[in-house]
Amino acid sequence: MRDEAEFVAFAQGARLRLRRTAFLMCGDWDRASDHVQEALIRVYVAWPRLHRAGFEYAYARKALVSVVLDHGRRRSSSEIVAEPDPSRAAEGDLAEQVTARAALMTALADLAPRQRACVVLRYFEDLSVADTAASLGCTEGTVKSQTARALATLRTMFDDSPLGELTLGGPTSW
Amino acid sequence: MVNDIREIMREAVASPPEEGNDLAQVLRTGRRRVRRRRTGAVVGAVVLAAVVTAGIGWRPGGEDGNQVANRTVPQPEGPVLRLSDATEGVEGKDYDVLSSRTNKDLDAGNGQYYDGVTEDGLILFRDGPHGIDNRTRLALLDPATGEKTWLPDLDEDGQMVPVELSADRLVLISTVYSDEEGNALTAAPRVRVLDRATMKWSTPSWPGLPKGDVASGRIGAVGPDGRLYLGVLATEGQAPPGGWSTGPDGEADDAAAEGETYDLWSVSLTDTTDVRDEKLRVGDYAFTDDALVWSATTNGINERIHVRDLATGAEHDFDPRSGERCNLLGLGATGDRIVLSQYCGTYDNGRDDRIQVLSTEGDLVTTVQGDGIDGWIVDNGGRDGHLVGVRSVTRTGEGHYVFDLDTGRLVKVTDSVSSYALGGPAPAGQLLWDTGEGNGEGRIGQDKGATQWLVRWR
Repeated sequence: MRDEAEFVAFAQGARLRLRRTAFLMCGDWDRASDHVQEALIRVYVAWPRLHRAGFEYAYARKALVSVVLDHGRRRSSSEIVAEPDPSRAAEGDLAEQVTARAALMTALADLAPRQRACVVLRYFEDLSVADTAASLGCTEGTVKSQTARALATLRTMFDDSPLGELTLGGPTSW
Repeated sequence: MVNDIREIMREAVASPPEEGNDLAQVLRTGRRRVRRRRTGAVVGAVVLAAVVTAGIGWRPGGEDGNQVANRTVPQPEGPVLRLSDATEGVEGKDYDVLSSRTNKDLDAGNGQYYDGVTEDGLILFRDGPHGIDNRTRLALLDPATGEKTWLPDLDEDGQMVPVELSADRLVLISTVYSDEEGNALTAAPRVRVLDRATMKWSTPSWPGLPKGDVASGRIGAVGPDGRLYLGVLATEGQAPPGGWSTGPDGEADDAAAEGETYDLWSVSLTDTTDVRDEKLRVGDYAFTDDALVWSATTNGINERIHVRDLATGAEHDFDPRSGERCNLLGLGATGDRIVLSQYCGTYDNGRDDRIQVLSTEGDLVTTVQGDGIDGWIVDNGGRDGHLVGVRSVTRTGEGHYVFDLDTGRLVKVTDSVSSYALGGPAPAGQLLWDTGEGNGEGRIGQDKGATQWLVRWR
């Protein structure tokens, strides 16, 4: 008999964080919820083995990435993420923050799904290159090259807008 | 202005909109998917049974000059169990009998059989085939009451193998042979699906499925996604020039044969236009709770086992270290265990038959080694499946044995095996075995009848 109480406790604790990661990867809160739902179902199925091994969250994150990327492959080309135009900078600090967020979400939406996943896993989840590669099921070299391309694209978009320079902030773990 | 990407991402998700916290839906869907996976894994056991049964037969002999000389059965790598290590099983302590049925004289005519047990505990009961039309009647038999519910008639004269016995549907496959081009016979699956809610049969077929030996060797498996997986014969091993060597017993010894491979396809059981090339070449394959496990080749030497995590798509593979002369005859999997059935050659002191148990990470768990044994996962082989049935047909150790993957115990449960191929899949913790009945008087393969036993393991 699987221990559903422990799974439920895990799912309740992990859900919000997974949903945030999913949102950054897909740009839509409702879709993020659907992706998390599917990822948690996959975790449920694998739960006895995961629980014994003690890597529940890493597995859940990996399942989530897989769900989002699978959905991205199937997604209709008519399905677009509507976000404000980053070139229209607003007045004041708060407005600038809001515009920067919107600009980043738009820029992320323009990236290839795997590049976007690399950025989210590296700079939101703060995963190392090795852990990012494990989550994506690819080599570390691929993560490095995809991340570099993604950052170049993002930086160009910010440089071309009134928002200014895009930086990586804190230390980067390799 | 400087924009920190980390900071912006954190701000972007700082105040998510409310959502319905529907974990109940996660649990409902998760449970349903687990049930499907269990059923999917059952298929591995059924097919394995068929393959192993085929594999135990001898091939035609070659020249005496090729005799395998003067060798003794080698020791497998890792921990080894032999039949002499088994403890005697006791009814009421190790297991409980739920139901049994005896056919006293199967030489005289066909009888009534237990072909499997559904997820909800009903026996798939078969009467026949009988008469000049070879008609078969099927029923679901409640072992607690003995009450049968007969299923609608099915115009089927082939041998049907259950590949899913869930609470929602029954999926049976028979094999149809044709020689449209006047060449060698081509095998194709005929699939029957019973919707248990409406009690109506359907017979889907898939025009998009490639022609070729679709059912040869591999009957099929229902995957965790509810799709039916089928192997299309891709490569076949050839006998060496001059035929196989002859073993000390005068029979051909095809150990260390070149194996065969299949291209894996899947089809929807509800949409006959939905046919998918899985782009995967396999030998044998099985689904666990959360993984697809396959060998590189089957019915011959196999040096690679592959494991794919179904949730993430991540794959790894390893050398099962099966021994240099071991033909893989069947593969089953459950939880984090893989069970390989093998024939590894005939030596001066007997046959080298093995049931090798590995972890999905490639660790050698144990090998049951014997002369004239075969074995496979006999309960559902899914998340909760944990029983490996071992069937011995040697004069000194005839009987059924059960190897419990959870405890590592090998238990002898009968002193006899019937000479008929009987049984089918059962839910986790239950199994079917059969014993000889009639005038065989201890001579293997001479019993006129058989008794089947449905057992719950304790």
